[in-house]
Amino acid sequence: MSGGRKIGEVILAVENVSLAFGGVKALSGVSFDVREHEVRAIIGPNGAGKSSMLNVINGVYHPQQGTIRLRGREFHDMDPHEVALAGIARTFQNLALFKGMSVLDNIMTGRNLRMRTNLLLQALRIGPAAREEMVHREAVERIIDFLEIQAWRKTPVGRLPYGLQKRVDLGRALAMEPSVLLLDEPMAGMNVEEKQDMCRFILDVNDHFGTTIVLIEHDMSVVMDISDRVVVLDYGKKIGDGTPAEVRGNQAVIDAYLGVSH
Amino acid sequence: MAVDIRTFDTFPKLLAHHAQVRGALPAIREKDLGVWQTWTWGRLNDEVRALACGLAAHGLKRGAHLAIVGDNRPRLYAAMCAAQCLGAVPVPLYQDAVATEMAFPIQNADIGFAMAEDQEQVDKLLEVLPTCPSLKRIYFDDPRGLRHYAQPELSSYEQLQEVGREFDAKNPGFFDAEVARGLGADTAAMFFTSGTTGNPKGVVLTHTALVDRAHAAALMEGLGDSDVVLAYLPPAWIGQNIFSYAQPFVTGYCICCPESAETVMADMREIGPTYYFAPPRVLEALLTTVSIRMEDAGSLKRKMYGYFMDVARRVGAKILDGEQVAAGDRLLYRLGDVFVYGPLRNVLGMSRVRVAYTAGEAIGPDLFVFYRSIGINLKQLYGSTETSVFVCIQPNGQVKPDTVGPAVPGVELKFTPQRELLIRSPGLFKEYYKNPQATADAKDAEGWFHTGDAGYFDPDGHLKIIDRVKDVGALTDGTLFAPKYIENKLKFFPYIREAVAFGHAKDKVCVFINFDMEAVGNWAERHNLPYTGYVDLASRDEVCDLVASCIEKVNLDLSQDPELANSQIHRFLILHKELDADDGELTRTRKVRRGYIGERYLPLVEALYAGRDSVHIEVQVRYEDGRTGNVSADLKIRDVKTFPAAAAKRAA
Amino acid sequence: MRKHIGLIVLGLFLLAGLAAPLVTGASQPGFYIEVLLGGLMAGVLYSLVALGFALIFKASGVFNFAQGAMVLFAALAVARLAERMPLWIAILISIVIMIALAWVIERLVLRPLVNQEGVALLMATLGVSYFLDGFGQTVWGSDIYKIELGIPKEPVMILDQVFQGGILVNKEDFVAAIAAAALVGTLALFFQKTATGRALRAVADDHQAAQSIGIPLNRIWVIVWSVAGIVALVAGVIWGSKLGVQFSLSQVALKALPVVILGGFTSVAGAIVGGLIIGVGEKMAEVFLGPVLVKAFDLAGGGIENWFAYVLALLFLLVRPQGLFGEKHIDRV
Repeated sequence: MSGGRKIGEVILAVENVSLAFGGVKALSGVSFDVREHEVRAIIGPNGAGKSSMLNVINGVYHPQQGTIRLRGREFHDMDPHEVALAGIARTFQNLALFKGMSVLDNIMTGRNLRMRTNLLLQALRIGPAAREEMVHREAVERIIDFLEIQAWRKTPVGRLPYGLQKRVDLGRALAMEPSVLLLDEPMAGMNVEEKQDMCRFILDVNDHFGTTIVLIEHDMSVVMDISDRVVVLDYGKKIGDGTPAEVRGNQAVIDAYLGVSH
Repeated sequence: MAVDIRTFDTFPKLLAHHAQVRGALPAIREKDLGVWQTWTWGRLNDEVRALACGLAAHGLKRGAHLAIVGDNRPRLYAAMCAAQCLGAVPVPLYQDAVATEMAFPIQNADIGFAMAEDQEQVDKLLEVLPTCPSLKRIYFDDPRGLRHYAQPELSSYEQLQEVGREFDAKNPGFFDAEVARGLGADTAAMFFTSGTTGNPKGVVLTHTALVDRAHAAALMEGLGDSDVVLAYLPPAWIGQNIFSYAQPFVTGYCICCPESAETVMADMREIGPTYYFAPPRVLEALLTTVSIRMEDAGSLKRKMYGYFMDVARRVGAKILDGEQVAAGDRLLYRLGDVFVYGPLRNVLGMSRVRVAYTAGEAIGPDLFVFYRSIGINLKQLYGSTETSVFVCIQPNGQVKPDTVGPAVPGVELKFTPQRELLIRSPGLFKEYYKNPQATADAKDAEGWFHTGDAGYFDPDGHLKIIDRVKDVGALTDGTLFAPKYIENKLKFFPYIREAVAFGHAKDKVCVFINFDMEAVGNWAERHNLPYTGYVDLASRDEVCDLVASCIEKVNLDLSQDPELANSQIHRFLILHKELDADDGELTRTRKVRRGYIGERYLPLVEALYAGRDSVHIEVQVRYEDGRTGNVSADLKIRDVKTFPAAAAKRAA
Repeated sequence: MRKHIGLIVLGLFLLAGLAAPLVTGASQPGFYIEVLLGGLMAGVLYSLVALGFALIFKASGVFNFAQGAMVLFAALAVARLAERMPLWIAILISIVIMIALAWVIERLVLRPLVNQEGVALLMATLGVSYFLDGFGQTVWGSDIYKIELGIPKEPVMILDQVFQGGILVNKEDFVAAIAAAALVGTLALFFQKTATGRALRAVADDHQAAQSIGIPLNRIWVIVWSVAGIVALVAGVIWGSKLGVQFSLSQVALKALPVVILGGFTSVAGAIVGGLIIGVGEKMAEVFLGPVLVKAFDLAGGGIENWFAYVLALLFLLVRPQGLFGEKHIDRV
């Protein structure tokens, strides 16, 4: 499957990150790195700090301590909008789609960042703005085709079943052409078939666009199948890091996570 | 349209002709990335030329086979024609077949080349590759997911065309000479039909057969290059191939390939086909979606729909057939057309449909009349793979729900004493591939094709198919007994799920009934009839009355038919359980196994014919979890009213 | 159907009231149509003000009390600038002023108050409202000013063949209605067809999601307030040319309140339809209901225009608390 994919240099480095809400420590001294083109998973039991970690990378939370570097450049108190501009897109565990807008419009919003023409030209739909809209529309149509959601192009997202909404969410993130894609529990709440579909799409995205993927996931079996390397968190600390096979064999991980039946 | 099919007697020659006379008109459209992309006849010709030269360079020889595996895609149709240009034979395979099902045709036809739609189909071909040593080259249309495939057999459509263009440049006269070498008597294509038993058979059809039939039907319906067809059924099925390949190549009309299986409805609304084919199950599904939408609509809308559909049922079909209708009804129908039928046709994507066909299985009269009554010219036709489809078509204005119309020009029909239909037509197949025994069984020395279907002509000379010959029997008085025909008539009622008719070598017809739990359950609720389950309902007199009323209607219907008037149903009982494939009572495709049921429930059959009012039954049933148990019940047996045969028609 | 029964009854009741003067013969058809048209014209203006409210409420969840003050401020700017330069230049400059104003409001009021309670924001817009009223008079003066659009004000007689006495209409009113319709059409296109419009809808749909995909909230707010400012300007110019630019113009905000209640706070369509209903309703009430009340209860009969809109809004509130278009998730801003 991943025959032609070349895992490259470190693209995203998390160094010694700590985050606390009041007295509650959500993350303490977590470090790990993500290499270009790899599928990297962050797993851990509920409350292990997975979502906090994603939100720190995403710029929603600013850690009290530690740094995050993207291609060597350090993030400094960036808000989500700036992080997005830097090339990191994300999806949401509790979908944050624009429910009243069509699938097409939702994914088109993902292109907003890449639009360069000014408001006046857009309003008049002339010259470069019209051409730009065409180019973006085509890019979005490729994504719609890729995710096999042609039939729902014009449907308001709020009316789609959950599994399809997840796909739209992925599509909107893809529309930003990110270099790193953060997936927040992409398989949560799905049935087996939907999970298989989602796995296929994630691997296809990784393969087809070369997108580096960081995903947090509760479902162990899924993670072990599709990830290149796995970070394990427990109570805000990193307790394991390595290939799925290595993590499976790690005693601390087994005790903290695998040993607990879910 | 007047194409001279004697000059242009092969598909490649027809393509060259269209490229010349209507090179800028659309030939194939495909919705891709949300936009309808168009290939003109000129473009199609260029694509085919490059492909054919590429295939020649890769060694595709005259008479060799090229498998086409995929959905309706312009490039796959182009590949079909490219093979024909070289005198090779395209063999379309069902795209939803699993890998193991693909192995047989590939082995049987020694297929060396395959054009696959996408990764899914390539994977299947690669899977059977070890068992199919003949398969040397696999081409693919959509490269998605195939980037890392290193198999030497694989190359892309573009790569093939590139080879072809190079070859064409070096051998400039080659392509035209190859096309000119083709003869009408050459094999044009091979279609595998899935027999109910044994391996599928490859039906070999010549250019002449396909072109002639496509031409005859197009002439009859006045098809021309302004017509539009949506290609949405499997191209490996002869019907789709006729409508999306043979007929457009004869008439120059444009076919449209939907974006995906889910978008068919929306795409159909967008393109507005003028010529349409749908098997009854598709028409049924469409009607169901409409009905569900109406259930959800506001009460005003629902009332309006109900009212105008009544008007349509009363006069719609008559108006379509050009019959006399009272002025008031005509006005009402016009009004209904503005408020209901027009919008409905639009929702169905059938606003522009001039000619629509249905075939493949018996269509329920209500379903059939529904479409006709809202102004859609839906007609039945009769044909099969072996006959290049068109044997009978209902002509405009002579459409009846229970016949398939008179023979299409060029076709001869006759019956054996056993009432088996025999066909002689220019559209008949050449042979079953590598199966002379089967060919000899199906086609006799005088060139008559034995259909295996039993039927007769009605007084107007329209063909009426009633059953398979092997299932047709006779009552003791010699009357024709067509169990499936009777059972189908019963099953068209929503309340009746299954029916089993007995009568062969008996003095009258009796039936077992399985009612439809959902429909009858709803009915019971509407009539304030409390019940616990199927068995309980089956024992209710009210339910027996309901079923009896359905059977009476069938009897009335049968009494109108001089051939079948004596096979009206005299008695029936409602079975105590639903017939089940797990109990061996139905086949996996839900066909009734009449013989087995007759043996298994022999006491019931005997009770029916012994004239008793009820019968006690005790049977073993197998539950879903594998356990077995006993069910016992007293079943009521009822007589049904029969009608005297309609004397007036007997004279004819 | 059943859940709409209250709305249907109310609608039928209002339609009956609307038809009553004609059916009972209390009015000549020609005069009746004149009144109707007059009501629609007033309604167009209510719609424009309500539109400003709805836009801002939908995009930022702020109930902008200052919309009326913005109408006055914009009208004052146009009126005074037009004394010194051609009208169209005055309007262009005023547009720039309204955009600058939007930018300042975002910087000084909205941004510091982000994530605060709705009440805090409401109070803030109340403050903006008083500031604009006062500041406008400081800069532009407090007399009554005129805006001359250069369209004849004389009423024209139309359809005098059809109705006895014909129908008197004001040409200026027609131009105003067309201008308003064009504005609404342009806005709809802008929201539906441009990337910025899409971003605005996205923000209106879900703030947080919009932010996380890189839509800058601050910029969107500036745009929305600018659009609301331009809408206010159009309303101000039309109104000002009719009645003169004066302090009472800012009170039209009070008329727009029942309109948005009736139409639904987040709906553009609601603002427009609501404005027309209220406009027609109160004109009709004044002309035809007033005399009836005078006769029946021996009242003075004046001032119906001032309270009727609120009663109408209240009635709608009773049968449909979310407003006419409030329930469905409207695709448009």
